[in-house]
Amino acid sequence: MTRTVHRVGSALTAALCLAAGLSLGACGGFNITDTNQPTQTDLENNPTKSKLAAAATGIFSGARSDITGFIWQVGSMGREGINLSGNNQPDYQEPYFGPLSSTQFGGSEWAGRYANIRTINVYLDAAPKAKDLSPQELSASQGFGKTMEALAFMYVIETRAGLGAPVDVDRPVTAPPADFVSEDSVYGYIIGLLDSAQTALQNADGTSFPFPIPPGFTGFDQPSTFLLFNRALKAKAEILRGTAGCGQPCFQAALATLPQTFIDPTPSSLGIGPQFDFSTASGDQQNGLAEPLDGTTFFADTFMLVHAQRQAGGELDARVLAKTARATRDPVWSIPAVPLPGVLKYVIYFTGGQPDLGKPVPIIRDEELILLRAEAEIQTGDLTDALTDINFIRTNSGHLPAISSGTWTSMSNAERINELLYNRWFSLMWEQGTRWIDARRYNLLGTIEPGVPGGQVPQRMPIPQDECSARNLPTNCDPLGT
Amino acid sequence: MHTRLVRWALLAALVTPTTLLAQQRRIRGTVTDAADGHPISGAVVTVREGRGLAQTGDDGKFTLTVDGGAVRLLARALGYAPSEAPVAATDTLVNFTLKSDPLQLQAVVVTGQATNVSRRLATTSTSLVTGDQVTTVPAASVDKALQGKIAGANIQTNSGAPGGGAQIQIRGINTVIGASDPLIVVDGVIYSNVSVASGLYTVTSSGSASGTGPEQDDAGNRLADLDPNDIASVEVLKSAAASSIYGSKAANGVIIITTKRGLGGTPKATVTQRIGYSDLLRGPAPRAFTVAQALDLYGDTATINSLVLPNGKLPVFDHLQEAAGNHPLAYETSLNVSGGNDNTKYFVSGDWSHTGGIINNTDAGRQNLRVNLDQRLGDRLTLALSNAFTRTTTDNGMTNNDNAGAGITYALAYIPSFVPLKPVNGVFPLPAFTYLNSNPLQTIALASNEQTVNRFTGGATATFQALSGGRHDLKIVGGAGADIFNQNNSVFAPPDLYFEANQTAPGVSTLGNAESRQVNWNLNAIDVFTPSSSGTMSFTTSAGLQFEDRQLDQSRTTANGLLEGQSNIDQGAIFGQPFEFNTHEKTFAMYAQEQLQAFDERLLAEVGLRAERSSVFGNTDQYFIYPKISGAYRFPDLLGSGSDFKIRAAYGETGNQPLFGQKFTTLIGGQNIGGSAGTVVGGVAGSPTIEPERVREFETGIDMSPFHGRATLEVTWYLRHTTNLLLPVTPATSTGYSEVIANGGELRNTGIEAALGIAAVQDHDFTWTVHSTFSRTRSLVLKLPGTGFSPPSAGFGLAFGEFFVQQGHPIDQIIGQTAINPDGSFVVKSFGTASPNWDWALGNDFTYKGFFLTSLWDWQYGGLAQNQTLSLYDCNELTSDAGTPAGQARIQDCFDGIATPYVQSTSFLKLREVSIGYTLSENMAKKFFGSSDVKLELTGRNLLIFTNYWGYDPESSNFGQQAITRNIDLGPYPPSRQFMFSITAGF
Repeated sequence: MTRTVHRVGSALTAALCLAAGLSLGACGGFNITDTNQPTQTDLENNPTKSKLAAAATGIFSGARSDITGFIWQVGSMGREGINLSGNNQPDYQEPYFGPLSSTQFGGSEWAGRYANIRTINVYLDAAPKAKDLSPQELSASQGFGKTMEALAFMYVIETRAGLGAPVDVDRPVTAPPADFVSEDSVYGYIIGLLDSAQTALQNADGTSFPFPIPPGFTGFDQPSTFLLFNRALKAKAEILRGTAGCGQPCFQAALATLPQTFIDPTPSSLGIGPQFDFSTASGDQQNGLAEPLDGTTFFADTFMLVHAQRQAGGELDARVLAKTARATRDPVWSIPAVPLPGVLKYVIYFTGGQPDLGKPVPIIRDEELILLRAEAEIQTGDLTDALTDINFIRTNSGHLPAISSGTWTSMSNAERINELLYNRWFSLMWEQGTRWIDARRYNLLGTIEPGVPGGQVPQRMPIPQDECSARNLPTNCDPLGT
Repeated sequence: MHTRLVRWALLAALVTPTTLLAQQRRIRGTVTDAADGHPISGAVVTVREGRGLAQTGDDGKFTLTVDGGAVRLLARALGYAPSEAPVAATDTLVNFTLKSDPLQLQAVVVTGQATNVSRRLATTSTSLVTGDQVTTVPAASVDKALQGKIAGANIQTNSGAPGGGAQIQIRGINTVIGASDPLIVVDGVIYSNVSVASGLYTVTSSGSASGTGPEQDDAGNRLADLDPNDIASVEVLKSAAASSIYGSKAANGVIIITTKRGLGGTPKATVTQRIGYSDLLRGPAPRAFTVAQALDLYGDTATINSLVLPNGKLPVFDHLQEAAGNHPLAYETSLNVSGGNDNTKYFVSGDWSHTGGIINNTDAGRQNLRVNLDQRLGDRLTLALSNAFTRTTTDNGMTNNDNAGAGITYALAYIPSFVPLKPVNGVFPLPAFTYLNSNPLQTIALASNEQTVNRFTGGATATFQALSGGRHDLKIVGGAGADIFNQNNSVFAPPDLYFEANQTAPGVSTLGNAESRQVNWNLNAIDVFTPSSSGTMSFTTSAGLQFEDRQLDQSRTTANGLLEGQSNIDQGAIFGQPFEFNTHEKTFAMYAQEQLQAFDERLLAEVGLRAERSSVFGNTDQYFIYPKISGAYRFPDLLGSGSDFKIRAAYGETGNQPLFGQKFTTLIGGQNIGGSAGTVVGGVAGSPTIEPERVREFETGIDMSPFHGRATLEVTWYLRHTTNLLLPVTPATSTGYSEVIANGGELRNTGIEAALGIAAVQDHDFTWTVHSTFSRTRSLVLKLPGTGFSPPSAGFGLAFGEFFVQQGHPIDQIIGQTAINPDGSFVVKSFGTASPNWDWALGNDFTYKGFFLTSLWDWQYGGLAQNQTLSLYDCNELTSDAGTPAGQARIQDCFDGIATPYVQSTSFLKLREVSIGYTLSENMAKKFFGSSDVKLELTGRNLLIFTNYWGYDPESSNFGQQAITRNIDLGPYPPSRQFMFSITAGF
């Protein structure tokens, strides 16, 4: 009896030992990674200079992905232009007739920016771990990343304004969603990022960026010159924060920052500034706003013709003449749902008289910096310098007669603001949705014409539906209760 | 110490030459049929756990040489229950009477990796189909042959193509985005059943390469490579308790296929020659137009007038008949030889089959060679080898969803019946009214969608009898196997095709290649302990290890802009659309199991545990545990003498593995700017801590077989609760992702299965056996984070019905727009579920003297399909009833975006199989064929269908193998019925 049991015991042991031996040998290598494309874990755990360079290129690419949409969508809300292709009803229905939905047109200008912010955060988390970056190169990378992140947040808060936005988004996707913070706090966060980036860029002075810089950033492609772009964004952020409730301190801060930018009151420099690149090369993105004059998608609204001031000889503001042209399609394009015929087109994204799918879009130009300075000067009461800057733009950009100082001082503040906003609109038309954003900043949305019978000008873009449902809030939520 | 070394040496010496000194003796006897005493020829008599084999001759007599001492002899014959008898040391005569077992009650079912038990004693619901039942009526592949034969398994074809795929769903839908196919094991080798896309989407533009394009290629699944003629039995493990032995790949059930093995004895050969044809089963009828109707619809007076016949009417061409009206030939030649002796038994088979498609230039063919070998090495060690090489070729034509003009049945929905399509002087006309310039007959003639698969499956199982004869019977069983295939696809649409002229670069040639390597090994120790010599109680303990390694590498590339007559991919103007995707998974598991049989096999119990780790889980070091416990109690003779009644209950847990890649967050490359390449974070966040979905199932049932096994009834009720369901969750967009893969939902399936078998008449001249199965399953989504979502490939919009997963509803519910509100918005309602309410299959087998007749009817009740094909015909006003008020009302629904007419019930009654034949008497067989038995047979598959479903086949799947989103019908390959005449001769 005992003998049999003993035999069984050892037999079983023998078998299992044999099995264990086989298994130890054969059962290794369970950490199989995905070799089909790069993974986020791989970038975060084993970053190298070249992987980070690819990520940096991706940041540049992602930053420009949404700009053409931004231009025509915010431009539609501000009656700068309209999308008359007709193949997607919300494209014209929501900005012109309303209401803005939280899923389609109204819910846009959010997901793409935050995807870009996520890419930047992954980049910033990974960069310090790379072993083949010098400390200065690391600094340069961080300065770049934080500046681009600030830029992405700016596009978000420019559309959502008082609703605020979540900023503490560098957290695991399984964590609860980040809380919304007020508009002022978002600007504060943006300015914090820009200042932190400034320190990093100053530390990197002397080295080059450890990644390729696209041609749109020519002249801003060293940490020291990239810093000029960084300061320009800060100046703009301060101004936008100023009109969002901060007031004088922010306008003062903007005035203090502007000298550190690439601002240059030389007529030939008005177009200088970093740009978003486009190209028809394989895998690259094209500038979808570059449409021929007989195209049927994007049109300029004719309301500007009513508002445009006249040059001395009676012609329209030179900016209108330079940036628009008559549509050549015969018969004139229109769609049944919108009683606005497509008679005017923008030619901003043309080269040599032809639409240029590779035409870059300016991020921020010298002309805008001068106008920002003018705005800060008006707000802080420095009317003399404000007039200098306004007249600089009027004469050099619009070929309009200068305003005399007597007229200027006798204008009410509201009239001066209107003159400022007029110049901002016409100098920056169809570049960044200026008219609607400015009107909202100054509570002047009522001055924008609805443009169509029964039309409405949207007051603000809603929070996208997924953002609300993820926080268990109803559609069109207002997390801060504004 | 010394004795222990000796025992180690004994175990280590796996091949021990025998040096038996005991004297040998001869045992004689006869094997007869228990019912009428007639001798059974070809029965095999063997010594249990020993050497010695003999085969009975025509007179039923055998002579067997055995070693001295008492032995137990086992007599087996096809169609009979085995019988065992002890023979004392001095006996030399023993007779066997074998009882026929038409309902396979005595068959053996698998209960563990290497353990099995008689069906009579199983504690879970068992489904067993014999090889003969699989090949009663030939089918292109095994899964199609199993339709209507397994309770609880919903087997549906995806399309009517001869190489088209089929999907098996066991006990409902248990996942959303996890793996959805059952595990298939052939002779211990895990058999790949993937379906690899052909690349047809590059021609049809049905979807993007990274999106739904490849899913709509009508790819076939690789179970088509297995020759049904080789199958000895198919066992389906449905309950979690049974399949938990296979762990996290078994949540959708396990199909265990055993191929034929030699029984030994004189070599026996069987030759089968089949020849047959197919034709179109059903499809939409053409709409006859009057000239006025045509002018009203199309307005093109000049063209319509040019088509008017001399008698003033417009012609009516049946374009479906022109496209799919072939009567193609099908043929098959099959040969197998089996035989052997005491030490070596072999089974060799070869098969060559070809099935033409009802659409010209489409077909499917298979060539197969199998060698199964059983070799005894010494007294205690046996080795079983199973190897098969298969070459499968298909051309599936161009069907399913289409946005380019290539889809044949898709284009037919746009072409009115008065437009001629047939070629004139070899030139195909460009139809005046058509879809994107296409002439489907031209597409059929010029385009091709070819696929070749070369496959090798091989496995070896070694069984070592470590201990026997005493209270313990210890076996060590080790197995290893590999399943490797290579699939080559070539999709070609020449630039001469009219629809290609629309493209910027006409002409498409796509080459695709896929290579799959699956390797698995397992090692098991099984000990049967019988404490008392009377054998009223026995414990079977088993434990073991398993390892599996799966790799699938796919790649594809396309050339556009071809020169006429050229198809090489280096002859295109544009070379691109590159695709490559490689997956690799490893799984390792350990298990232990205890089976108890007590009180004279009345009490049966099983308990087991499995621990598994896998490379697809987030934590690759973590072992996931799957327990199981089941029990049954038998009441012999409860329902009369010779009857059996068993009540059983089982609880088990299995898991469902995530798919490769779901744990990774990928970076998307190709973000180029300024000439440099960049990466951005992808929109889908993987789950680094991903875990398998866990299925917990409770099953209970009764099995009864009154009347001495002449009738059997099995009824099972089950409840499956899936937790940790993998879901695509939409997060807050500020996270930067549009989708997160997360474990988190809960799903429940409940159902009933019943299987009935009655050997109603068992006379000498006339027998009648009835088989019937019934299945019903209901699902319910219990918990879902978030509000509800459309699963991937849910459909084509609420205007036609779409799948929608929602808490508190069945998992495969279809919702759609049913009415328009006064304010212009739509009323959206749920139509029901895609899965049927229940399915009842009924088979009858009659034999009268030499004649036999079998039939299998399949009645599916309920279920819904998105009949997108009907919506195409309706929106184009080409349905045959378009002129009637009912037809017009439906057409108006199509224009208004009302989905109600397009979500149709899939209830059907199908005559799946019919077979009538005659087995020649031995004299006739010898006289005409020189063989010992000859069978002539006429078979039909899919002959009749009774349904209210419009158009083609209620069984359809535009998106191929899907967990939820099946039953979408959009321009499919039309269904066909097949007739075959076969002659089978044995030598």
